[in-house]
Amino acid sequence: MLRVFLTAAVAGVIAATTWVIWDRVRGPTATPIAGFSAPFVFGRFAVPPDNPLTEEAFALGRHLFYDPILSGNNQVSCATCHVQALAFTDGLAKSPALPGGELEFSSMSLTNLLWGQERFFWDGRATSLEAQALMPIQHPDEMDQDLGELVTELQASRDYRRMFRKAYGEISAENVTRALSTFMRMLISSDSKYDRFLRGKARLSEQEEHGRKLFMAHPDTKVSLRGGNCIDCHSQFLTSGFRDALDGFSNNGLDSDGDLPDGLMAVTGNPAHKGFFKVPTLRNIAVTAPYMHDGRFETLEEVMDHYNDGIVVSDTLSPLILEADNAPEAGQGTVGLRMTPDEVQSIIAFLHTLTDEDFLTNTQFSNPFEGDS
Amino acid sequence: MRIWMTGLAILLVIGGALFFAPSPQRTTSITLTFHAKMGDDPLVFDEFLYENPGGPGTFRVRDFRLYLSNLTLSQGEALFAEPDSYHLLRFDNPETTHSIRLNDIPLRNIDHVRFLIGVDPDANGSIQARGDLDPNSQMAWNWEVGYKFVVMEGTLRIGEEVSPLVYHVGFSENAREVDIQLPPDIGSDGNVDLHVNVDVAKLFDGPSQIDLQKLSSVKFNREDAAMLADNYEAMITPSFK
Repeated sequence: MLRVFLTAAVAGVIAATTWVIWDRVRGPTATPIAGFSAPFVFGRFAVPPDNPLTEEAFALGRHLFYDPILSGNNQVSCATCHVQALAFTDGLAKSPALPGGELEFSSMSLTNLLWGQERFFWDGRATSLEAQALMPIQHPDEMDQDLGELVTELQASRDYRRMFRKAYGEISAENVTRALSTFMRMLISSDSKYDRFLRGKARLSEQEEHGRKLFMAHPDTKVSLRGGNCIDCHSQFLTSGFRDALDGFSNNGLDSDGDLPDGLMAVTGNPAHKGFFKVPTLRNIAVTAPYMHDGRFETLEEVMDHYNDGIVVSDTLSPLILEADNAPEAGQGTVGLRMTPDEVQSIIAFLHTLTDEDFLTNTQFSNPFEGDS
Repeated sequence: MRIWMTGLAILLVIGGALFFAPSPQRTTSITLTFHAKMGDDPLVFDEFLYENPGGPGTFRVRDFRLYLSNLTLSQGEALFAEPDSYHLLRFDNPETTHSIRLNDIPLRNIDHVRFLIGVDPDANGSIQARGDLDPNSQMAWNWEVGYKFVVMEGTLRIGEEVSPLVYHVGFSENAREVDIQLPPDIGSDGNVDLHVNVDVAKLFDGPSQIDLQKLSSVKFNREDAAMLADNYEAMITPSFK
């Protein structure tokens, strides 16, 4: 009896050891993310061929995103400034800088990054998500981490050794950014009321529908067409900036020539791009206050006031903004859309239909170190 | 017997030679290069270089782009239509050119190149992405109306005063056909290299001469749009003439 038991135990141990060894020596498992779909109205997207979307990369990226191990002092994670409930912004005009003070720009929402511009950051300085993700990690004011040190720290963790092995085979800075990019690419918001309306599953209220029509129209007093002119910069279905070339960057009339920051010009060197910033997605815009690259506006009402009669003229201001006016006679001293208060409220009502509660609470995007992972 | 064998060998050699000899070329490749011009010179963006053709002031161009669709190539009666033929021509590059290359067209030569400036009504009324058509792009105009066909944006300066110029021309009825007849000697070794000028000045200087101060924007007014379309109809001309 004892012999039988012993034999079974030995066999069990051998089988378990073999499996553990095999699991460690085999290559990454790389399970393609199944059932991945997005609304066809979002259009084409491209995933870099050297970083396919896999379940293992997503799980790893999610852990890294929420782990302060990515920062030099092990206290700051990506999620510090990108909070899911706020559509991955932080609710601040500008995030605090590590040495004190604040950063130059407002934290950007991380939504539907597979579409829209292929440049990242407000000034477009990163030309891929993979390039983007490493920048805050290393920036002395943001996470202040040395990449070599980060790899050493990750190698000390059994969990990370396992997750990297499954996703990519080995721990490296390159694979850190690949995993983070995969996680960010999967942050897809497509279940707002507007999305359900586009799928024919929801009706907009009269006010929301009025707002939608205004959103989509460039005003033309010659044919009595009233418009909020939003679509000249925010694409009709994605509501983000345009994908092609630098079409997704614009000067939206915040500052005069004397105060105009460089923006995209700092990256392209082209003076015609001075004061250009990335046109952000308007998905979940009602929860991502404050607004603009420097968070200068606290509410959507303030934003609409800006476009309605607060445009500041500068040399590179978009002619589409300068020209768009709902009043037939020239304005006296102000530049803007000059819509009625009702029209402004309608556009704001439409903007609220872009809030996607499911996205803001989806447990697949939440902190894996808390509760169910 | 020997004669018979020799005959067979000769036949084999001739047959093999015929089999492996280069067959006459049956397909053609074409490169269409569009050069953005203002009059006779290459278009320069973002500089106040150009005279208002119908009034006072000088203007600069910030953006110029257009849709070209339904590209067909023909040789006599034989015709090749490019599938999903929707090209956005944009010129924001140092050469201010845009090239379209089509390989292995099943024609021995090409004597006509035809296309539309603009988008055919069927595609213009659809939100399906085809070719360069993208309902989330800057050229998507209005959910109900379709795409902008020709876009020119800029600034007019009169003295110290500057004012915006916005010309967005669309509406299905404003698609205009361009037919270019190629000279017979243009192709060599199955390759056609066609250079075409796109003259922005023609937009304002054609059957109608436009004063940019008086008509500083064209968007949804159908008469204005048709007037610019009648002008841009002659905007694209081959440069071998």
